[in-house]
Amino acid sequence: MKKGEAIGIGLLWVLLVTAGCQIVPPGFSQTAGNIGSAFAAAETTLRYAHEGKITYAYAASSFASYQSELSGNDQTLVSAQGAPSSASMHSLLALYQEAMQVVNAPCLSAACNWQRQVASLDRASQAFLKAGNA
Amino acid sequence: MKKQWLAIALGIMTATGGFLDAGTVATSGEAGAKFGLGLIWAVLLATIAVILLVEMVGRFTAVSQKTYADAIREDFGFRFYLLPLTAEIIAESLLLAAELGGMAIALSLLTGISYHVFFPLAALFVWMMAWRGSFDLIENGPAMLGLLTLSFVAGIIALGGIPLTLLPTLWKPNFQQGTVADYFYLVAGILGATISPYLLHFYSSGAREENWSGKSLLLNRVTAIVGMSFGSLGSMALVVLGAIVLQPLNITSNTLGELGLAMAKPFGIVGSFLFALVLFTTCLGAALEITLALSYNVSQGFGWEWGEGKKPVEAARFNLALTIFLLVGVAIGLIGVDPLQLALFASTVIALFLPISLAPFLIIMNDSQYLGDKTNKRFTNIAIICILLIAFVVAIVSLPLVIITGGG
Amino acid sequence: MRDREDEIFSVRDILDSQLMSHDEIEIGRVADIEVELHDDGSLTLTHVITGPQALAGRVSWRLKAVFCWILRDRFEQRIPLSEIEQFGPTLYLHGNARDYAVGQSERWIAAHILRWIPGSGHIGK
Repeated sequence: MKKGEAIGIGLLWVLLVTAGCQIVPPGFSQTAGNIGSAFAAAETTLRYAHEGKITYAYAASSFASYQSELSGNDQTLVSAQGAPSSASMHSLLALYQEAMQVVNAPCLSAACNWQRQVASLDRASQAFLKAGNA
Repeated sequence: MKKQWLAIALGIMTATGGFLDAGTVATSGEAGAKFGLGLIWAVLLATIAVILLVEMVGRFTAVSQKTYADAIREDFGFRFYLLPLTAEIIAESLLLAAELGGMAIALSLLTGISYHVFFPLAALFVWMMAWRGSFDLIENGPAMLGLLTLSFVAGIIALGGIPLTLLPTLWKPNFQQGTVADYFYLVAGILGATISPYLLHFYSSGAREENWSGKSLLLNRVTAIVGMSFGSLGSMALVVLGAIVLQPLNITSNTLGELGLAMAKPFGIVGSFLFALVLFTTCLGAALEITLALSYNVSQGFGWEWGEGKKPVEAARFNLALTIFLLVGVAIGLIGVDPLQLALFASTVIALFLPISLAPFLIIMNDSQYLGDKTNKRFTNIAIICILLIAFVVAIVSLPLVIITGGG
Repeated sequence: MRDREDEIFSVRDILDSQLMSHDEIEIGRVADIEVELHDDGSLTLTHVITGPQALAGRVSWRLKAVFCWILRDRFEQRIPLSEIEQFGPTLYLHGNARDYAVGQSERWIAAHILRWIPGSGHIGK
């Protein structure tokens, strides 16, 4: 029994350590891809809200989630492994800022230019997805 | 005759509530969005495993009148018993926090109010049901609403069914949205989210709460097969919805609300409402099952009075334990990790710990001292060992892969 | 030889068994046993022991020392074999739950912690 227990406890430690190692910062491709997907989700959410497919409440709650998912990701992007040249990074960050303005303050009432916000999110999403797949 | 049917129907609905939870919703949605139908095999494998395991533990308890935790302590001794107990407390506390988070997010999607407000309220609601609710209420309340998962299947039909172009992804997943590391991480997550030890402790203790005996073996078998298959259907429906709606839009379902968009496409506001309601119900069912399973485990292992049929003062340590576990869940949730990411992480940890949690079970199931002539057939033993090995190997492999490729 | 096998068998059987009182209340599990060594070298089981110190001892003797120092035998109990009415996976005891000190934490928790929570079923005195 003692030998079996020792193996069991050793296993438990190994597993705890490897599970803990999951908390590791992701590389550039992965981050860019995630950002692109998040903006795509935000775009679809905003569009659906104005097409009457979801309630404004649902959209508001979703945007709160996107905000916490996305905020701070520009820092992660800049410091990530495998980041591209400063020129492409610069344009990506500019699109990020523009799209984040929408995510932080989405237009969720009938009287606003939501189409412009959707376009903004779309541009950012496409650019980041492309960068992630490059 | 009618009463028998009612018992079976209720048992089936319970199994449904246990199968789908924040973990399975999260993994299914992401699996479909990232890899098309490429992870359906993992869902099927997990379903077979859980049907076998649930039937086994039900059979064990019905024949021996002992619960799973009783058997571990009595057969392996106190010291060994602490190993699976520790593994399960760690992994399932994380998952509990994710389930409470799932309930909170569902309420948030319905009302637009921030989910942080609903989080402690969700915990309080779960606590009230566990504290004073009868076992019947706990079984049937969430389970009846679980029937709503059929709406996911309706959604697929309304969207025109599965397009033929998608079928090849069943054996050749497309990797445009996700990496190989992601793929194996999700396999581990799917296996861990579905084959959870808490389900065994809950089902085993439930069999005692319902006074199952040697006569209940057929009921047990039917409940296990039909109930788990029903839950599996819901899980696969989510994979398909993710593949049909989200993948073309480049959405990878990193938040729970995104998956609801897949229901909003065919059914509009009603669709999103249904999704939020199903999310709430399955997370509520799971939160109750996890809390109770942990308390059952500890109480039975230490030999205390336990049971939902008793007033709290009649099973004081049991009820104190469940209160403490809920508080731990709330504390973890307050750290602020997103519920979906927490659910994925917890499910992978569960997959890693599966050999520790389930190896004793395999041994017990072959012990004729408890089971007489109702021990496992050789085929069943081999099937379970294979599935455990797969879960473990995948989990071990996916973590270093994630680190090397810098994924997350 | 046969006696020795019987004893070894019964130790494995009795250790970790559920203890149930006459009024059908589960009060705990056997954490340890006490034996008496006779002149002819045979051993007889005399008591079953329950309590956190004995449990700690099952994990490691160092842990037991720590528990002894903190708890000072307050929760340990030695139950003589004569109290056991029926043997098996569950050991049925002669007396009612209140007759045994083991499980006193259960009553304490019910009386001092749970009573303040509504719906506990506590009947005030």
